[in-house]
This record gives sequence, structure tokens and C-alpha cells, in this order.
Amino acid sequence: MLVALAIVGLATIVVAIARWFAGLEPVAAFIAQYPGTYELPEGAPVGLPVWLNWSHFFNLFFIALIIRSGLQVRSERKPPAYFTSKRTGHKASITVWLHTSVDILWVVNGLIFVVLLFATGQWMRIVPTSWEVFPHAISAGLQYATLEWPLEDGWVNYNALQQLAYFVTVFVAAPLAIATGVRMSGWWPENERLNRAYPVAWARAIHFPTMLYFVAFIAVHVLLVLTTGALRNLNHMFAAKADDDWIGFLLFVGAMLVTAAAVVAARPTLLSPIASRFGKVTAR
Amino acid sequence: MKIVVLVKPVPDTYGDRVLSLETGLADRAASETVLDEITERALEAVIRHAEESAKSGAGEVEVVAMTMAPADSQSTLRKALAMGAASAVHIADERLAGADLVRTAEVLAAALRRAGADLIVAGNGSTDGSGGVMPSMLAELLELPAATRLETIEITADAVRGTRETDGGTMTVTAALPAVVSVTERMPDPRFPALKGIMGAKKKPLEVVALDDLSAELEGLGVALDETASARSIMVAATQRPAREAGEIITDDGTAGERIAAFLADRRLA
Repeated sequence: MLVALAIVGLATIVVAIARWFAGLEPVAAFIAQYPGTYELPEGAPVGLPVWLNWSHFFNLFFIALIIRSGLQVRSERKPPAYFTSKRTGHKASITVWLHTSVDILWVVNGLIFVVLLFATGQWMRIVPTSWEVFPHAISAGLQYATLEWPLEDGWVNYNALQQLAYFVTVFVAAPLAIATGVRMSGWWPENERLNRAYPVAWARAIHFPTMLYFVAFIAVHVLLVLTTGALRNLNHMFAAKADDDWIGFLLFVGAMLVTAAAVVAARPTLLSPIASRFGKVTAR
Repeated sequence: MKIVVLVKPVPDTYGDRVLSLETGLADRAASETVLDEITERALEAVIRHAEESAKSGAGEVEVVAMTMAPADSQSTLRKALAMGAASAVHIADERLAGADLVRTAEVLAAALRRAGADLIVAGNGSTDGSGGVMPSMLAELLELPAATRLETIEITADAVRGTRETDGGTMTVTAALPAVVSVTERMPDPRFPALKGIMGAKKKPLEVVALDDLSAELEGLGVALDETASARSIMVAATQRPAREAGEIITDDGTAGERIAAFLADRRLA
């Protein structure tokens, strides 16, 4: 209760300061010059295609399972069951098997996403194409802090702060998670020189904070999606259309139910029949 | 053919195991109770034999999991059923709390007589008591041959064969059935029961046996039904193991060799 009050108080102070600051003449002029969004390059596509909606769904579905199983791997002292790979003979906890298996699906989905992103020109929306992105992002950040949020049309273009956040998530955080994850996985070759060049301790130090970044991103992302025209935003990303109706919302709810069901069902007794197709599941 | 596998619920070695300093008995509430690993492996080996036997048409093999354990450890028997045992026998009686090895052997022998097994399979030692003599005691009481510490096991219609490691080499032993065998940790990794097995286990027979149910067999073995009045071996003292001391680090300044030699000599290791 006290913590909640403190947060509300602190937020009020931040908003007040931001409003005062944004009201200063030079700052207001800066915001007028850099409203938060800059022009997309010539020939940028308008709207979100169906493939991108699917890609986004699979991404959120897999990342939910990845974060869940990753935390389980982290806190697990005694594996509930062991998986021995048919191919490599490598034996590990079934939780590690789940984590790495979903990782593969997530990476494959991500690769398809990136290839299609560049093939269709959709990349222009989430990769900065001008240095102007930085003043615009500062302006957008300031406007978020004043609670007078920048007006935008996510169907056409994202604001600069959004663009930077999406860019960092797709092209920095995800590759970092993969590079550090592979280092800790059973796929990493046991090579003395390779291990010295890239110590596992580094990977371990970076992998977990990367997850924290993802969680923070998801929290802010979902909050802003739901508070800046939820129905329209959900139609963009779940129904590939720009209307104000409830279709996107219903598809979003369906996606959440499917994801929650998968997270709940991802337990050893239900996973072992699946894992058994790829190797041996044993109790010890 | 009927094979009884003796399984044992033990405190999980993954956590801290506690001995009640008053009674000297294991404090079972202090840690999770699991099936002892060797007995899980023994069960796996026998279930595999039963499955192969059924598949090749060599005849029906009935696998029974049996234990003598406190009443609240029944979930471990359910796990044995989920792994693939056809039925389970749980000998549970307040009067058996703290039973020593001889008493346990007598009661198990009585229950095994009652069950009428062609082959009795046990682990070569448990992680809690570490007695390791139960199979031999049972063989003595039941007047059966005992093939102990088997690293491989091969079961045929009328005999059991296996190899055992000794300091000097490997020996292959064979015993005509009925017989008692004990196996080592070299048995295969136990399977992990999936949901299907766990659901199926709920319908399998799990018989709870009290001492009174074994009165005829105990009499046949010539031992008393209730022995709580006169235990044979009792705990005299139990103390907490002292915390481990830090090791001594010897940095080589030219005399390390001599100091290591002195260290070993001090502890009569040289």
C-alpha cells in the first residue's frame, strides 16, 4: 500500500516536472520542430500484413514459454525428469529440453520474420532510417512523461521512441539472448580455444538481464498498446486491419488463452510423450 | 511368472536428511520421500523384461512392487504402479516403526511367502539405512538361492542369470527359480511416468497389509507376530554430524612435498 502510494506520488512529481519542462519556450519549440514522428522513406508499405500478425503471435507464444521455462531452469535444484537426446546422447533436465526446444521454434520464427521484413519493406517501420530518430525520440519521451501522449497512427508509422524500442528488441536483445543462450546450451562445441575466447560466465551474466529487458519491454508495450486506442492497435496486430471494431480484441483474447493454456500445460508429465519422440525421458 | 520387486521409500538425497536425535529414527517430515534410486532402477529392469516377454509371446510376467514402509509413503508405490508394475503391496503397521534389519527381513519374508513370487528383486543397498544385507537375509529365511550385486540381469522361464563385479574380476552367476537377486545402480535409467501411466496407476490394485494379515506366514517362519516389546537392536545414541571443516591449503614454497607427507603421516594415510 505504502509502495503504491509512493509510486503514485513519484509519478505525479515526474509528470509535474515534465509539464513544467515541456512548457519552457525553447523546449516547446523543440517539440514543435520534432513532434515525435518523422517521415518514412519513399515507398514504405502502409498497414500490417497477415504474415506479420502470425509472426507476432508465434513470437509472443514462444517467448512466454521461453521465459517461464528459463526461470524454471534457473530455480530448479532437482530436475523432475531427464531427457537424453537420441542424436547426441546428451542428457539434461527436461526443463532445459523444453527451454531449448522452444528456443529453436522461436529462432526459426524470428528468422522468417526478419527475412519477410526485408523482403516486403516492412523493415522501414522498425529500423531507424534517419538520425532525426533521436530528437524525435527525446520529444516523444518527454510527451509520454507529460501524459499528453503523442498522436500517432500505428497503421502507417510508429513514433521514434517506439521505433527505437522495437529495433532494440528485434535487432539487439533477441540476437543477444540467442548468442548467450547458445553459449550455455548443449549445442556449444567443447573447444578449449573457443571457450577461452567466449567464457560461459559472460553468457551467464548477460542472458538473465536480457530476459529482464524482454519482460520490461513486454510490460510497457502491453500497457501502451492498451492505453493508446486498444481496439485499433489490436486490430492492427491481430486482425491486419485499421478499423475500430472488436475483431482484433477477440483474436487477442484467443491468443492469450492459447498462450496461457500452453504455459500451464508445459509440465513434465505432459511433455514427456512429446520429448520421447526426440530421445529418452527418464526419472533419474 | 510373478516377479516381486522390493522398493523402498527413502528421504530424498537431494535435500538435507535428518535423524531424530531422540528416537534415532529418520525424520521423514524433514525431507521429501522418494523411491530409492536403485529400487527404481531394479523396477525398470524388471518392467522391461515383462514388456519384452509380452511382446515376444514368451509368456505373461506379473510385476509386483512391494514395500514395508510408514503408511504415509504410499505415493511412492503409486509411482511404481505408474512406471508399469501391475500391482503393489504395502506392508504398513505402527508396530513396525523402527524395525531393525532382522525384523524387516522376517516381515518381508512373510509377505513374500504370502505373495508367492518366482523371483524377488531388490536393490543392493538403500541410501538411508545402507545396510545392504536384506537380500541375503531374505534368501536365508525363504531358503532360496541369492544372486547378489548383479550388474546385468537376464531372466528366463526357470532361471535368473547375471554378472557381478568383484575386486578380482567379473563373475557370471545363475540361479534356478525361485530365487532372490539384488541389483546395483548399473541397472537402466528408470522411466519417467507420463500422465497416461499416472492415471492408469490409480486403477491398479494397491494392497495394504498389516502385521495381523501375515500371522500365518510369520508363524510358518517361526517368528513372533508382535515384537515391539523386545527389539533386537536398538539405537543407543544419535548425534548431529559436525559441520565440515575447511581444508588446509598448502602453498608451495619449496617445502610443500614435505608438508604434504607430514599431513598424510599425521592422519596415518601414508
